[in-house]
Amino acid sequence: MHSLTSKKINLVVHIILIISAIAMLVPFIWMVLTSLKTTTEATQIPIRYFPDAPSFRGYIEAIKQSEFPHYYMNTIISAVMKTVFPVIFSSMAAYAFARIRFPGSSLLFILILSVMMVPNPVFYTPQYMMMSELGLVNTVTALWIASLISPFATFLLRQFFMGISKELEEASVLDGCNPFQIYWHIMLPLVRSALVAIVIIQLQWAWNELQWPLIINSSPEKMTLSSGIATLVSMFGTDYPVLMAGAFMAVVPMIILFFIFQKQFIEGIAFSATKG
Amino acid sequence: MNSRSRYVWAYFMIAPTLIGTLVFWGWPVVQSILLGFQHSSNFGTDNHWVGFDNYVKLVHDEEFWQNLRNTLIYVAMFVPVTLVLSTLFAVLLNTKIKGVSLYRVIFFLPQVTMPAAAAMVWVVLFAQDFGLINHLLGTRMAWLSNGHYAMLVLVIVGVWGAIGMNMLLILAGLQGIPRSLYEAADIDGAKRFNKFRFITIPMLTPTLFFTSIILFIGATQIFDSIYLIIGKTNVALPSVRSLVYAYYQNSFIYNDRNYGAAIINVLLVINLALTGIQFAFQKKWVHYD
Repeated sequence: MHSLTSKKINLVVHIILIISAIAMLVPFIWMVLTSLKTTTEATQIPIRYFPDAPSFRGYIEAIKQSEFPHYYMNTIISAVMKTVFPVIFSSMAAYAFARIRFPGSSLLFILILSVMMVPNPVFYTPQYMMMSELGLVNTVTALWIASLISPFATFLLRQFFMGISKELEEASVLDGCNPFQIYWHIMLPLVRSALVAIVIIQLQWAWNELQWPLIINSSPEKMTLSSGIATLVSMFGTDYPVLMAGAFMAVVPMIILFFIFQKQFIEGIAFSATKG
Repeated sequence: MNSRSRYVWAYFMIAPTLIGTLVFWGWPVVQSILLGFQHSSNFGTDNHWVGFDNYVKLVHDEEFWQNLRNTLIYVAMFVPVTLVLSTLFAVLLNTKIKGVSLYRVIFFLPQVTMPAAAAMVWVVLFAQDFGLINHLLGTRMAWLSNGHYAMLVLVIVGVWGAIGMNMLLILAGLQGIPRSLYEAADIDGAKRFNKFRFITIPMLTPTLFFTSIILFIGATQIFDSIYLIIGKTNVALPSVRSLVYAYYQNSFIYNDRNYGAAIINVLLVINLALTGIQFAFQKKWVHYD
């Protein structure tokens, strides 16, 4: 009797999860199907699920009429800069905050953390004015220059460094290592999984960001995938196969990365949650 | 090594983060506040102080109140729905069923999907005539051009994108609850629901608290989906326009960066106040153990 009810419950759980999973996947399936339709098939009534013969016109048009190679290049450059530098700078700062008691350390730490509470758009006008004074409006540099640091990563890594036993370090202090050498050679390898989590969070955020690229760069060859496909809408209006092809090309690199590193993605998030 | 030279190393190691934070984030906050009290003309070459003029204009601006209301309505719908569904899925995935890792991957997929790209698909899905959603529901609703429905669309899109991340955060929280608590309850013959009500929920409050703050801060900044799904020519825009959208429009389309700054400074104050309140109440209803 008891095993029967738990079997029933299992079945209900599976049904709920399967229906929800399909609902989550519908946008992806529809994106791909629509991108392969002709313009008439995409808006036909009654609705068509599948194209008669898959057409790649959407992809060809999207590539021909916009600056996809530039979008990819700019997105990759800006995402790499916004990932590599914050990881290096945050881990350095986090180590110092976790292990060295220096005058003003808690005040400076709170100062850095407090900007986390500020909504991002608050920064945009002043940053735009700054870029404009530096002559950086409409450059790839402007996409990443203000995002080389991460208070969130600093906070997270400090938590991790504080959880590591001090014995290892004490031995190296006796060997005459300076704090930077201890951080680089001993501590950094110990927080490798936290670093992976931060790389993933930063990369994902940098790849998908829309508002700042939209504000700072208006020439097509300086846009990212996000702001680039946003302009496809004004170029192609209701030519949905082209729009869906553009959207697919924009999301596919991140989705491939996710499938390859799904374990790191999922564990990284869970990992940061347990320390946050 | 003496402590003097350790200090020097410490300052050296925090320098990039500290300088970057102050220059690119800290100073802009100050500047945004100053901009709110100024008026600029001649393409920003001529700035002068106008006291509270921008805020007086704001208070008398019907559109501002509508935008504020829209933002709060969105937050009030999006945050609880996301929290409840994420918790539900996390609880379901925390049981011993098959295929947990596959479900996790599927639910997380929207999280890695570029919001701009997702928005474009949602436009096709919610289309009135040839949209899949009306087709499946057997309706012909004008999802995107009716203000009430448009808000609902934004909430659905937002929840779809947010469940994966929050479900994982809550799942991590669930897995941190000591087994021994449930075993003790089993010995006492506790029912499934009572275990959930009296063990899971209280033990989960730190996670739910942390998650709700992050969700809240994110939700007040809704912009991408309004910009791409509703768009500037849509008749439904006034019923869904958020503070951030209004900030963008005033600062970068109408080129009135001072009025734009006044709008976004309101959001800054709201976020700081609510974070403050949440932290104050945290002690009351969150069980830390």
